[in-house]
Amino acid sequence: MSNFELNVNGVRHSVDVTEDTPLLWVLRDTLGLVGTKYGCGIAQCGACTVHLDGEATKSCDISIQDVGTAKVTTIEGLATGGKLTALQQVWCKLDVSQCGYCQGGQIMCATALLAAKPKPTDEDINAAMSGNYCRCSTYTRIREAIHAAAAAS
Amino acid sequence: MSGPITSPAPALSRRDFIKVSALAGGGLLVGTYFRFGVSSALAEAAPATSANFTPNVFISISPAGAVSLIAPNSEMGQGAKTALPMIIAEELDVAWDKVSVAQGDLNPAYGRQSAVGSGSTPGNYLPLRQAGATARAMLVEAAAQTWNVPAGECTTAGGTVLHQASNRRLTYGELASKAAALTVPSNVALKDPKDFKLLGTRIPGVDNEKIVTGQALYGLDQRLPGMVYAAYVKCPVFSGKVGSANLDEVKKSPGVRDAFILDGISGLTSGVAIVADSTWNAFKAVDKLTVKWNEGPTASEGSAKMAEQAEALAKSAAPAALPDGAKGIEAVYHYPFLAHATLEPQNCTALFKNGVMEMWCPSQIPGSGQRLVTQGLGLAAKDVIVHVTRLGGGFGRRGSNEFSLEVAAIAKKFEGTPVKLTWMREHDFAHDNYRSNGWHFFSAALDGAGKVVALHDSFVKMQGGPGDMTAGGFPFNVVPGAKVISNKLTGTIPTGYWRAPGDNGNTWATQSFVDELAHAAGRDPLDFTLDLLATIPAASTGGGQAGGRGGRGGGGFVAPKMVTVLKLATEKAGWGRKLPRGQGQGLAITHTNNAYVAIVADVTVDPKGVLRIQKLTAAVDAGLIVNLSSAEAQVQGAMIDGISAAWFQKITIEKGAAAQTNFDEYPVLRMRNSPPVVEVHFIKSTSAPTGLGEPGLPPAAPAVCNAIFAATGKRIRTLPIVDGDLKWS
Repeated sequence: MSNFELNVNGVRHSVDVTEDTPLLWVLRDTLGLVGTKYGCGIAQCGACTVHLDGEATKSCDISIQDVGTAKVTTIEGLATGGKLTALQQVWCKLDVSQCGYCQGGQIMCATALLAAKPKPTDEDINAAMSGNYCRCSTYTRIREAIHAAAAAS
Repeated sequence: MSGPITSPAPALSRRDFIKVSALAGGGLLVGTYFRFGVSSALAEAAPATSANFTPNVFISISPAGAVSLIAPNSEMGQGAKTALPMIIAEELDVAWDKVSVAQGDLNPAYGRQSAVGSGSTPGNYLPLRQAGATARAMLVEAAAQTWNVPAGECTTAGGTVLHQASNRRLTYGELASKAAALTVPSNVALKDPKDFKLLGTRIPGVDNEKIVTGQALYGLDQRLPGMVYAAYVKCPVFSGKVGSANLDEVKKSPGVRDAFILDGISGLTSGVAIVADSTWNAFKAVDKLTVKWNEGPTASEGSAKMAEQAEALAKSAAPAALPDGAKGIEAVYHYPFLAHATLEPQNCTALFKNGVMEMWCPSQIPGSGQRLVTQGLGLAAKDVIVHVTRLGGGFGRRGSNEFSLEVAAIAKKFEGTPVKLTWMREHDFAHDNYRSNGWHFFSAALDGAGKVVALHDSFVKMQGGPGDMTAGGFPFNVVPGAKVISNKLTGTIPTGYWRAPGDNGNTWATQSFVDELAHAAGRDPLDFTLDLLATIPAASTGGGQAGGRGGRGGGGFVAPKMVTVLKLATEKAGWGRKLPRGQGQGLAITHTNNAYVAIVADVTVDPKGVLRIQKLTAAVDAGLIVNLSSAEAQVQGAMIDGISAAWFQKITIEKGAAAQTNFDEYPVLRMRNSPPVVEVHFIKSTSAPTGLGEPGLPPAAPAVCNAIFAATGKRIRTLPIVDGDLKWS
């Protein structure tokens, strides 16, 4: 067990866990931020996607000791002061989610995409979003929501 | 729960309804929430007080006018948590934006709580309409008494009772206390579906905001004070049991509280339980676990051997002799085992305290999980409390509930401490009840005019589980003398319900073979199928898996409905255009869960064999549409789910165990493979709604395979598609 300092959603935390614990399990079990999901544990499904310094990262695949000083943002940290981001609002309005389990990861990934490319093409969406499984196959509306959010910005 | 799980609810008898109402009449809603105050439903439900109007378990109206509705069935993405309360709200006549919805826990008063067989909506449609209409009638009666006017002169709209003649109005909140004192009427009139205002519109999911902010809680997200985290390791070979294990070493692993063998519990598969202070420490201890397994007889089973057995079985039944002078066509179609691979792995949380097992279960049939626990651990049903959590996907997997008994058996040893069991993804793949593999050995004959004059299918699948074939469905029901012989493999690999059971593989095979016959006859597949459908009487009693298993739902196969959706889908897709090599269109149909679906796929295959699905066009007759948004989403998702499985997925059995252990070996279709255009067209209908979670799935894969043939001349007869070679020159 070792002590690690962590900045999550703008809040500093000190956690006492084994060094090799993936960030995913620190978020879920230690900090109670369960919006970040476990799906595969091998960086295949993207349900655990968070931002490290704004970059979409699979949190099952990075140990707590490798997070360093990077600022972690989780799905719980996107909305500020109870106000959903434009992308989150579009996601609700277009009724993208089915079971919803993957959607936190999808939104984290799409948020990073729109930050890098405010007007993404279908090919940009394919490239950025293909690391995130949706087992309910909501891809049609995910694509629609990203385009709609881009058009509204 | 009532009746067979795939049947729509019969018209609820007056006696049944009174029974439901009577159970609820004594404030059961209130009682449930106060007795089990930690219920996840509590946080969502409006505070229930004795002043509320609670005419039945589904509805609570406070004097302030807050309307709380219960969603009785598990939500796994099929939209039941939104659609079912919409049905109540429609008859109750309240504004949707004034309604809050809570997930119902397991409770016999809620009636059918099985989220399987595309049955949540058809099974609850009538009872929930009656629940809403009864409450509305009581509110009207309360107003009529207040004003001393006949109830028949009062109308309702948007949560208000009106007396037009005297221009008086009272809100439901103002009437709640008075209505609560009235006797529940046993027989009330329902709205004419033509007058529905809410049903058929697009209503976004009630939990959307929670989902996009990470606040929606699934089974895996349950957290209780002092909770410990468990893993449960079973033998990869299905018949295996624990012989011995290095438990002392495992107990030394960081954070491990205990490790022990569970065996001899009725209904529980023998295994090693590891309990730790975090999920990660439990998983890490699994890596250190060495078990001496007694593998048992299943270790001799394998997919390669099953293929040999299937061929021998199929060939033991001689196909019918072909008519003289007819052109014979033979083909063998094979589909593999599939895993459910819900993105949320199987899991469950339990707390055993004072003789009561309180559980948080992501289950499609929570009642069956409760039964496993009562039978396995010798507890009374009243002492096994089941809270229903949101489900991170179901697809049929969460109809079986072995995780419930596993965690309960562990929690029983940790009295007073909550235990969360999480299956590692590898365990989830290894211990599924798979979609059965299957083989169709088809033979058929065409006469000189291209008419099908003989049709024979020797079918083989794993014994047990759903998915059998009969000759009752399309196209067998249109060929005189058509025969289906069904054989079973004698293995012990567990199989079960997987979205659109039976149809998910058999419709692929039969609809692909119909396309083969059309091409062999030199006919356009649309004209060929329409001609076949024209020979079916207007309301045949057939259903059956080839044209779908809609017959199991109790309705006959109505050929004109199929013709309508087929014509609509092909018209919208622009069927019949001349396309260059490498581009193709394919069509397929199904009658599944009483819904009629036709799909056209547009694909391109480049000379290197790279497949792209450019467009899917579906036409669906699913009766009355409850929520247009989720209905459309279900069909979109089911189509892509069917294609995902057919394109990429297989579970191979080697030495009695699944060879694929995680998503790197069992890929799911990704955004880059998803068709850029997906259209869903519904037939307008006021008939009772059919199921809709599954019917979009079966025709998607054969439509794509038929389109691949049109583009390349290559016929896919073995799934997954990715194992074949689509190169052309």
